[in-house]
Amino acid sequence: MVKRKLGALEKVEADLPNLQHKIRRDPKSYIEDFRAQHYQYESHREIFMAAPTSATDTGIISLRELIDFVAHVADCYPDITKDFSQQLMDILTQHHLVLEPELREKIVGSLVLLRKKELLDSATLLQTLFPILITTPSKTLRALIFQKILMDLRSSNAKTTNHKLNRTMQTVLYNLVTSDRVSSKGLWAIKLIRELWKRQIWSDAKTVEVMKEASLSENEKVIIGGVRFFLGGDQEREEMEDESSDEEAIDLGKVKHQVGINKKTRKKSRAVEKAKATVKRKERKKNQPHPLNFSALHLLHDPQGFAEALFSKHLQNSKSKLNLEQKLQVLQLVTRLVGLHKLHIMQLYSYFQKYLTPRQPSVTSFLASLAQASHDLVPPDVLEPLIQKIANEFVSEASASLVATAGLNAIREICARQPLAMNETLLQDLVMYRKSKDKGVVMAARGLLGLYRDLNPEMLKRRDRGKEASIGLRSGEKKEKRFGEEETGGIEGLELLEQWKEEERKKKRAEKGLPSDAEDGEDEEDEAADWDAWNVEDDEDSDDSGGWIDVQSDAEIDLSDSDDEKDARPSKKAKQGAYNEENANSETAQDKTEAQKPNIATIATTRILTPADLAKLQELRTQAAVDALVPGAKGRRGQTNASRHKDDPLTAEEIEGLAALSAGKATREERIAHAKEGKTDRAEHKSITAKRKERKEEQGKSTTNKEKARRKNIFMTLGKARNKNKRSLVETRNILKAHQDRQKRGGRRGNNG
Amino acid sequence: MGSSAKKKKEKQKDFTKAKLKVGKAKGKPENFTDTSFKSKGIVLNQQSLTLNAPTSNTQFTHHVSLLSSKSDSQRRDSLAHLTTSISSRPVNSPLPQPVSVILPTLLPLILDANTGVRTQLLKLFRALPQSDIRDHVPQLLPYIRAGMTHLAADIRVSAVEVLSWLIDVAGTEVVSSAGGWIKTLNCFLSVLGWHTEESAKWSANRASFGKSGAKGQPMMKVLTVLAEFLNAGIGAPANEAQDVDMLGSGGVAGWEFPLCQTAVHMVPDTAAPYAYLNLFGQPRDEEGEMYETWEDRYRVFSNRFLRAIQRGLENARQEGGEMGRASSGASKVLKEAVAYGTGIADRDIVSSHDSTSRGTSIHDLEPKE
Repeated sequence: MVKRKLGALEKVEADLPNLQHKIRRDPKSYIEDFRAQHYQYESHREIFMAAPTSATDTGIISLRELIDFVAHVADCYPDITKDFSQQLMDILTQHHLVLEPELREKIVGSLVLLRKKELLDSATLLQTLFPILITTPSKTLRALIFQKILMDLRSSNAKTTNHKLNRTMQTVLYNLVTSDRVSSKGLWAIKLIRELWKRQIWSDAKTVEVMKEASLSENEKVIIGGVRFFLGGDQEREEMEDESSDEEAIDLGKVKHQVGINKKTRKKSRAVEKAKATVKRKERKKNQPHPLNFSALHLLHDPQGFAEALFSKHLQNSKSKLNLEQKLQVLQLVTRLVGLHKLHIMQLYSYFQKYLTPRQPSVTSFLASLAQASHDLVPPDVLEPLIQKIANEFVSEASASLVATAGLNAIREICARQPLAMNETLLQDLVMYRKSKDKGVVMAARGLLGLYRDLNPEMLKRRDRGKEASIGLRSGEKKEKRFGEEETGGIEGLELLEQWKEEERKKKRAEKGLPSDAEDGEDEEDEAADWDAWNVEDDEDSDDSGGWIDVQSDAEIDLSDSDDEKDARPSKKAKQGAYNEENANSETAQDKTEAQKPNIATIATTRILTPADLAKLQELRTQAAVDALVPGAKGRRGQTNASRHKDDPLTAEEIEGLAALSAGKATREERIAHAKEGKTDRAEHKSITAKRKERKEEQGKSTTNKEKARRKNIFMTLGKARNKNKRSLVETRNILKAHQDRQKRGGRRGNNG
Repeated sequence: MGSSAKKKKEKQKDFTKAKLKVGKAKGKPENFTDTSFKSKGIVLNQQSLTLNAPTSNTQFTHHVSLLSSKSDSQRRDSLAHLTTSISSRPVNSPLPQPVSVILPTLLPLILDANTGVRTQLLKLFRALPQSDIRDHVPQLLPYIRAGMTHLAADIRVSAVEVLSWLIDVAGTEVVSSAGGWIKTLNCFLSVLGWHTEESAKWSANRASFGKSGAKGQPMMKVLTVLAEFLNAGIGAPANEAQDVDMLGSGGVAGWEFPLCQTAVHMVPDTAAPYAYLNLFGQPRDEEGEMYETWEDRYRVFSNRFLRAIQRGLENARQEGGEMGRASSGASKVLKEAVAYGTGIADRDIVSSHDSTSRGTSIHDLEPKE
């Protein structure tokens, strides 16, 4: 056979990518060629469908390549390829078990491509892919399909929410979970929903309903998947949001500057356009109202029923197959629901009874769950035996300090939620532990003390009450809260605003030289000024701070525990004298509080808060939150964490909490880490010059001549140095003169015109 | 100078002589490549260690298995071996392997990249017993169609050659098998580029892709095969004479109604008589349907292809030269077919006037003008 000369050229010409490229440019001229290739595809499909299992690689061009080719140019010839997507779907659904992996992936990819070209609608695509996702045994295919499904759902929800598609998909998932409760197929529904929840594509009640069904299923994996979603899904979502919000900021000025300097190409100008668009989008995003996202726990329709079902099905049921860790997770969810929605599941508390021993594995989690499960509508007599048991089992001189700490912390957490569950003798007993030798126990006991000073000082011994509480008691301000009593609602942080206003007023008056307390008509003037400044200007809402938040630098640990000791120290006489004074003081203080109290209560009713007020209020709130985080700030250690949101879970770590202090001496690293905890990040210590240099290098600027000279290789300068010695006097003089002249002119090139 | 000293040392390192010591292994050279590997087991390919020469039968099977070899020459040589062993076997003895076993390995070779392989394959096909091929036409046709629309021009040509052979061997099966009529005609149109009016014009912008050999010889070949194909499908049937005389003289046709068509009511004597019911296959669409009778084929042809083919042939004739000559064969077949089609229609009209013995009226078979 003589070799034909055209062979090589032909081979180059006759490849599908080349044809694809040509068709893209001019579909009309190449219609015949496309038609031929479409027939080719049809015949190959026929061959394949006749025997799908015996996948023979037919010649140069395989079915895979043809599918790829047709899918890429299908949008140019919609009438020729109108059956194409249906054919692909048929192949995939009928033969996905026997297809070779590459062809299978190509078909999935082509279907997605057709979807992108709008030749196929999302619902059809998802209805094809989803059954395969559930049934296929191939891991790679599952991963691929999962990713494609997710991508498709994201893209179809990108501009506006595609309610129709979401609804059908959610129904499919719901049916998947509920139809067969024993199988682990529901895991796919969970995976998908979790991902979509994280990206805030699905955040409605129906999604939560699917997860609720999942956590009530029979399969352990599915149960735990559902439970985990409720416990961690929202946190995941928040983290995701944070991540996406602090993408690297684009410095538009810099980009523009660079374009001005560098060579102007179309690519560069496009980059500028892109940067502009990004900045614009970000701006718009910033101005948009924050989307209201309810947590999954709030979107549940029937929390009571759900919690009861979970409890009876997975925890009380002796046939439940869950292991301890999984049971703990379910318990966490149940107790969180109970705490959050103030549910009543009475068996729950007796269930805890048998787990509250120090020998129980992961008992701190049980303690945390118990604390979570208690709220102010739980009957105190249900909780009391539990507290008693914790006190008996955990808190004793004989038990290890770690155990005692955990017990005390747990009791504090429970009592913070339901103070009535504690009886007087037990409390006084427990408070005595603040004289213990172990630091952790001391702190825990002090925490309990502080809590009851705040909530119900009457239960404490007289000398334990402390000054503030005593005053409060006498004035009748601190009263025991009765069962079921609700506080009247207010605006969070309003008292801060009031306090701030008061201070401002005092300052002004001090400037004017007036007595600070006197009442006069200035309030009205103030108000008038406020009304003038109805609109919040940028400089107004943070007039003094300019975006910075003041942090109290060195707030000392101010445990009120110590001040009664201080009081006890002075001699009797002085004490008596002091007592009188104190009396008088307290009386005036009492008067003042009496006078002030209605003021605080009525500020929301007497005035209309201007936007400026609200802005200030927000600022004060954030500052208070920051103050609370700074180590040593009052009230952080001892009492229940005020800054914690009601929705946040109580974890075992918090129960163990200060047990770390009793664990013996911390290592140096730990101590350093502990000290660094509250401090903001700080760079390595460096001189100013070094910092400048670094910054310069970072910005990609070049070095100065001086620096260049300093870095010059010594061999290059040696010759010159040697020459210097050999110079004659005249030469030296000339050189010096020239140098002087140059200096005057300002450099070799003459810098002064 | 710190850096320079360091560099000097590094340079020196290259020239230090490795000391050889007694009892110690020699150091590895710098350009040493580690070629050791770990394996759970070592498998040796089995060798046949028989003393007897393999029988011709085993050789035949061996060569059949070699057809899927990677190397072109190996495939070609195996095909040659198969061809000789088939053609040199004693007369009337069966094949070493039945056709149904060999064919699945042979078919992909229709699309083989190598020209030598394809020509050798055609030789092998010609050597195969004709009667065996008839049952395998539905398997062959998709590959031939795939070949006819292939990107590479010479694969197209050889596929057309294979089709020509197949029409020779089993013409009626080709045109009446599932998808054999419409799909194959479509392929012809796309090979010739006659699908649309615009593309059929000689002055059309033939922005043809990968059609390096689209002029002259191959085109003629395609035209002659098209003529053969049309002849097999809708050409004036050779058995028409027989038919006519059956109708004309006494014989069976002279009998009463059910008896005059006895043959129609008998079980057909083909290999797959009920294939048209398509009991086990995929559901077929219009293109994939079987058109078993002349009338069906002619109706479909006149509805879909007649105009395009007439136009194409006309253009080819106008082009003149060899193309024109080649087209004349096809146009002759076409003319006969049209004449016969209209003739049947006329006769039918007459006969339907005469008697009610023929129930089918074929008015719709007339080509639409």
